[in-house]
Amino acid sequence: MNKEIQGLIADFYEQDYILNQALATSVFLLNNLEKPLLLEGDPGVGKTMLASALAAHLKTDLIRLQCYEGLDVGTTIYEWNYQKQLLHIKLFEQEKDKRTLGEEIFGMEYVLKRPLLRSITAEKPVVLLIDEIDRADEEFEAFLLELLSDFQISIPELGTIKAVTKPMVILTSNRTRELSDALRRRCLYHWVDFPSKAMEIDIIARKLPDIDEQLAAQVVTFIHNLRKSSLKKPPGIAESLDWAKTLLLLNAENITDEIVQNTVGSVLKHKDDIEFVRNKSVQEFLIPID
Amino acid sequence: MLGPQDTRDAFEIAERGYWLDRTLFQYSLKAIYCKRKEHFDRFDEMFDRFWSRYYDDKLEARKKTVKQIKKEPETDTIIFLGAKFNKPRKEKEEKEAKQTKGANENVRLRFTDFSKVDVADRERLEELAEELFHQMSMRFKRRLEDANKGRIDIRKTIRHSISKGGLMLDLAHRKKRKEKRKVVFILDVSGSMDTYSYYLLRYVMVLKKYFRELEFFTFSTHLTHVTPMLRANNELQILKDIGSNVQTWSSGTKIGESLTEFLSGYGNKFLSQKHVVVILSDGLETGSVTQLKEAVGTIRRKCKTLIWLNPLKGMKDYQPIQKGIVNVMPHLDAFESAHNLDSLLKLEKLLMDV
Repeated sequence: MNKEIQGLIADFYEQDYILNQALATSVFLLNNLEKPLLLEGDPGVGKTMLASALAAHLKTDLIRLQCYEGLDVGTTIYEWNYQKQLLHIKLFEQEKDKRTLGEEIFGMEYVLKRPLLRSITAEKPVVLLIDEIDRADEEFEAFLLELLSDFQISIPELGTIKAVTKPMVILTSNRTRELSDALRRRCLYHWVDFPSKAMEIDIIARKLPDIDEQLAAQVVTFIHNLRKSSLKKPPGIAESLDWAKTLLLLNAENITDEIVQNTVGSVLKHKDDIEFVRNKSVQEFLIPID
Repeated sequence: MLGPQDTRDAFEIAERGYWLDRTLFQYSLKAIYCKRKEHFDRFDEMFDRFWSRYYDDKLEARKKTVKQIKKEPETDTIIFLGAKFNKPRKEKEEKEAKQTKGANENVRLRFTDFSKVDVADRERLEELAEELFHQMSMRFKRRLEDANKGRIDIRKTIRHSISKGGLMLDLAHRKKRKEKRKVVFILDVSGSMDTYSYYLLRYVMVLKKYFRELEFFTFSTHLTHVTPMLRANNELQILKDIGSNVQTWSSGTKIGESLTEFLSGYGNKFLSQKHVVVILSDGLETGSVTQLKEAVGTIRRKCKTLIWLNPLKGMKDYQPIQKGIVNVMPHLDAFESAHNLDSLLKLEKLLMDV
């Protein structure tokens, strides 16, 4: 394995994030090719966490933009500081002529920087996380294209602002809607799958050092069997950790029917899924799988 | 589709010497070339196939199997009093071959009946279907999503202006009400529909992504509600789930009974004047025709539009004279074919009017 990638995996491990080789290669390229990385995968597989771990690894800031329907330029790029502009006009309307005043109030000092603009005007490269891009409108997705390909943003009154330093952009999507080909073309791509059994045991052991090895293995086997049961919302890594934490708090040594009945709410978040598990014996979910 | 930028990136990583490490090179190309999960899942196998000798052997074996498929002779042979005569074929039965004479490969496949696709064409047809369905889904998305901005909202605009000293710098707009489109697909998966149901299933899966309220049922002798299975992100997994959960796959056809089951079990929930119902079936009923007629009549009364897609309609000289079809025809708003890719893509317009 390439030494740099090996180093990356080891460093992320220190940040409690376990990378596999394929994902480590994508992160490595994100850094070297200076292209955004699009991460797709089921909810709860650790897409957002990757950005935090990368920021910690590079010892830089993480700027996060949470997407939602109706997201606009004012919340993502910039907004004029109207109060400051009005105050400036009131203060100098006697001393300066209209033309000069007009020019002055449209300068960078009257701009309120929002996440995207902050990320490209930062002095040192930051990690920019555009989270759940599939929730944003197509108009916003189209607007992002300029930033993702040329690392620049156009503001009508100020012109084009080029990145001082190129941010490392990570986009995440849960595939609730299909993203455009134009956006995909500009990004590196990685599908983040649920981790293997051994990897998930490792994650739990890393996050909860007090947990018994056998109990961790049982939790992971149970969760992996659940993921194969076509539930409405299969549990993610966060749910595995929550459940393991709950079992630790209850001083449980083994997973029994009674424990599952009482704690299944920390793993499954849908009524039908909970009923499905409650109507079955715990042994059915503890059958070892590969 | 890969562009020059992807090629440039691939060369860049090769120039940096990443190709010396096979795994690193493989994962790097994977990150650059793959643009969606379906590509991601297939990439490793394609990479191995391209670079590994192991796959060369497999390819040779595949070529042999393809060669074994004998072409039908151009002429029919007649044996008369012990002597062989070659009789030229008067007319090719397949209309679509005539229509696509001289056309390129994609056009030919687009017009080929699903039931007449041979082994050699299947893989290519799969790829073409994926590409065309994807293009269609993008068109749907563009048209289905209205612009958010409606008329100017005076109250909101005035309220926003308070923080700016009463100056109306930002105009607030009302949001347009998005029309809810509700579609119910009922797919026949009986033995007689075997060759078509797979493609029709894939078609519905694509539509599911863009109709927020789409319900999907399959039937042959019994009805199965498959919408919950469509929630998975992985297309192959969905197909696998449906395959293993639909008990009556490739069995007889009891359309009337299945539609009655739909009415009693789901009618109240999924039938209203906002719903469009699409039945995909060949209409070859083996159960009671009266029951079928009554069920279709009731569905029509309870829904906005009823569309029947029949793959047999694409056949030359097809007449809707089977008992089942004759009885349901008066209740239908549209009766269309669904036997090849082209006919499925033409349905786009029909569904747009929903």
